[in-house]
Amino acid sequence: MTKDLKDETGKRIHPYVPELCEQLRKGEVDRREFLRTVCLLGVSAGAAYGMAGRILGEGSPMRSALAEEPKTGGTLRVGMQVQEMTDPATFNWTEPSNQSRHTVEYLTRTGSDNITRPYLAENWEASDDLKTWTFKLRQGVKWSNGDDFNADDVVFNVERWLNPDTGSSNIGLFSNMVEEVDTGKKDDQGNPVMSKRMTEGAVEKVDDRTVRLHLNAPDLSIPENLYNYPTAIVHRRFSEEGGDLSKNPVGTGPYELAEFRVGEVCKLKRRDNYWGDQTFLDEIHYIDLGEDRSAWLAALASKQVDMVWRFDVNQLEVAEGIPGVVVNTAITAQTAVARMQVDKAPFDNKKLRQAIQACVDHNAILQIAYRGKGAPGEDHHVAPIHPEYAELPRLKQDYDKAKQLLKEAGHEGGVTLPIDIGNTTGAWELDAMQAFKQQCAPAGINIELNVMPSSQYWDIWDKTPFGFTSWTHRPLGVMVLNLGYRSGVPWNESHYANPEFDKLLDQATATLDVDARRKLMAKAQKMLQDDAVIIQPLWRAEFTATAEKVKGYEIHPTVYHQFHKVWLA
Amino acid sequence: MLIFVMRRIGAMVLTMVVVSILLFLLLEYSPGNVATKVLGPYSSEEQRQIWLEEKGYNDPLPLRYLRWLGKAVQGDFGDSIKYKVPVSEVLWPRLGNTAILGAATMAVVIPLALVLGVLAGMREGSGTDRSISVLSIITTSVPEFASAPMLQAFFVFYLALLPGTSSMIGGFNPVELILPVMVLVLYDFGYVTRMTRASMAEVMTTHYIRTAVLKGLPYKMVIMKHALRNALIAPFTVVMLQINWLLSGVIVVEFFFAYKGFGFLILDASLNKDIFLIEACAMVAVFVAVATQALADIGYTYLNPRIRFS
Repeated sequence: MTKDLKDETGKRIHPYVPELCEQLRKGEVDRREFLRTVCLLGVSAGAAYGMAGRILGEGSPMRSALAEEPKTGGTLRVGMQVQEMTDPATFNWTEPSNQSRHTVEYLTRTGSDNITRPYLAENWEASDDLKTWTFKLRQGVKWSNGDDFNADDVVFNVERWLNPDTGSSNIGLFSNMVEEVDTGKKDDQGNPVMSKRMTEGAVEKVDDRTVRLHLNAPDLSIPENLYNYPTAIVHRRFSEEGGDLSKNPVGTGPYELAEFRVGEVCKLKRRDNYWGDQTFLDEIHYIDLGEDRSAWLAALASKQVDMVWRFDVNQLEVAEGIPGVVVNTAITAQTAVARMQVDKAPFDNKKLRQAIQACVDHNAILQIAYRGKGAPGEDHHVAPIHPEYAELPRLKQDYDKAKQLLKEAGHEGGVTLPIDIGNTTGAWELDAMQAFKQQCAPAGINIELNVMPSSQYWDIWDKTPFGFTSWTHRPLGVMVLNLGYRSGVPWNESHYANPEFDKLLDQATATLDVDARRKLMAKAQKMLQDDAVIIQPLWRAEFTATAEKVKGYEIHPTVYHQFHKVWLA
Repeated sequence: MLIFVMRRIGAMVLTMVVVSILLFLLLEYSPGNVATKVLGPYSSEEQRQIWLEEKGYNDPLPLRYLRWLGKAVQGDFGDSIKYKVPVSEVLWPRLGNTAILGAATMAVVIPLALVLGVLAGMREGSGTDRSISVLSIITTSVPEFASAPMLQAFFVFYLALLPGTSSMIGGFNPVELILPVMVLVLYDFGYVTRMTRASMAEVMTTHYIRTAVLKGLPYKMVIMKHALRNALIAPFTVVMLQINWLLSGVIVVEFFFAYKGFGFLILDASLNKDIFLIEACAMVAVFVAVATQALADIGYTYLNPRIRFS
């Protein structure tokens, strides 16, 4: 039995916290990882910064009061596509979540520093085995319709996410809270059709302000998962009242929806009685400027908007050249992967996939397609900025090996492979694939580039045998592997199914100690890399531009819009 | 004349019916396809079947076509997939915006092109003619996707004079119209100028002009009374055709300047496979095409007595 440790307010702290303090003292974990992990274990961010400061003998790194006194008032106009926002649980991309982020809130909030803090949940605790998570909800939070926010809201949302009829990607994110069941139906081959749904009792209402999650297996990333874009908390009567956020925008957030037209505009007005600190902006306007990102910068240059959601790397010079505009850069774990469906010919042949991999010089693609801004990929989808990233020997371009593998794969005379490209995150995708095509050619692998509009790509992204799919940043390496590479989850676009890999992933997801987790990840990364499921050319940096008068904005690695502290000079 | 007009209108309706059949076959021949597009790729087979049954997609094709046509005639094309509202709610305002853009463009192009065309055609081969011809060929040969960024770079980024996009979010703003109109005018006026010039030059070589000059009429009167009336018949048809061109020609300009018009909508609908919106846009485009064509024919006949009285 571990002795219960208490912090200064008498709250029980997780027994792993002192060990983390020790590790920080010895330099085994860095300051950022320390802060991140103790916050995840329920220590408040302020206390965590204080601990780190005491251990490292530095002053509080919490930023001192802003140099300028923030001013209240004004309208922030943001150039971003205005998409439909019917149901936050089924959001497929970040734009609608940014529109709704100021209206509906999350239980936790991951800041631009990659640290997850309390939000609608005031604090939380994990059991020592990381299988039971108890969330204390903030009191005094009111919905915009006057109702009190309480545990029923949270239970309703969790159950809804994990109901297969909702069609939410959260079912993959919270894989430790779901079980596989037979639907009673048979597919064409007569095999039973399996479906994933919430394990009975996985979410429990302890009392009006306490919710407990019961997991089938240990999971470290629960607080961070709760700030993924489809996990916004909607009102407990959301489904009864039409199930459409854009028509019935009830939320806990500081703003309310004032005007909304898909493809045109989304206007938000500050509302009274917000539970949190006063926000500074009177209104937030999202203005749809179409798909052409050069138009966005033109709008910024002529002061029609104060901020653009993001822009492409090839527009960097243009953006930097606009007077009165600040370019914001974030290092991210955003990427795109040329993934091969391992159960579809010819990609069911591992030798062929490995032959393709042997042709690639990742760093060269980074230089060509992304001006070297980011990091070269290693075909295992764990980023150097992830805490549990394990450094593996670099992949090397080797044409002899590629030719040999191609011969063994039975494609000695060469092979032609069409790849679908949607440029969903900009034209760099095509640049990267053009470089990739050229690198493959000397080995006799002819890559055919099939370019299509981004919306069309999202129709087939999980269906095409060979496609270049963009993936957004996630704070932990285990999160993205759980979402995209675990057997049978909805977003497993490569159809990779490896029980051994799943087992390693289970263990890694249950391991709090970063060094121990890194050892497990080294194996998992190597396994994914050796199986050559994806060609991942690079990790990219993210850019946005704001007018100089926009103050207090920090770019988030996932370009989530957090405007609580933003004000206009 | 009346019979001629009736015949033109009859041909117009027939064309539209044929196009509507083709359009319907192309987009709705396979009902499963429609269901997938409306309900999204993640919908289950069961959901799709229920939807198809509800919407009467299990009926025979001709019946489905007639029902679709009946609704379409009343302006009911169904709900847009992307915009989540009835198609007409997006379509008409967008069409109105393009009409504004087109009217502004035409208001500049027509006077400019006619004056330049007449000036050039009056004295074929003169210095004025050469300069105008070269100018109009150069401007017309620069496509919109090249002139738009060039003008934007100059007026927005370099001079910081004009707004860079024209989404009219703060309500109608004529200043936002300047750049898109400039791009369209630059591309289009040269063509109309050349047509006017050719027509004028042709008229100037006719016998009646020669007679008028030889009988000692002042040159000004020859041009105003005799040449112009005849020379402007051909440009009238050209201008009518420009209206049709504008409807599809604005796609590039509207996309580039984020102007919320018909061109932007038709592109958006195609990219999103917004099936009912595509159908509505296509029918509107076809209607405008055949209607301007018919009007051009009727107007031409009316303006040209030789056809009118034959």
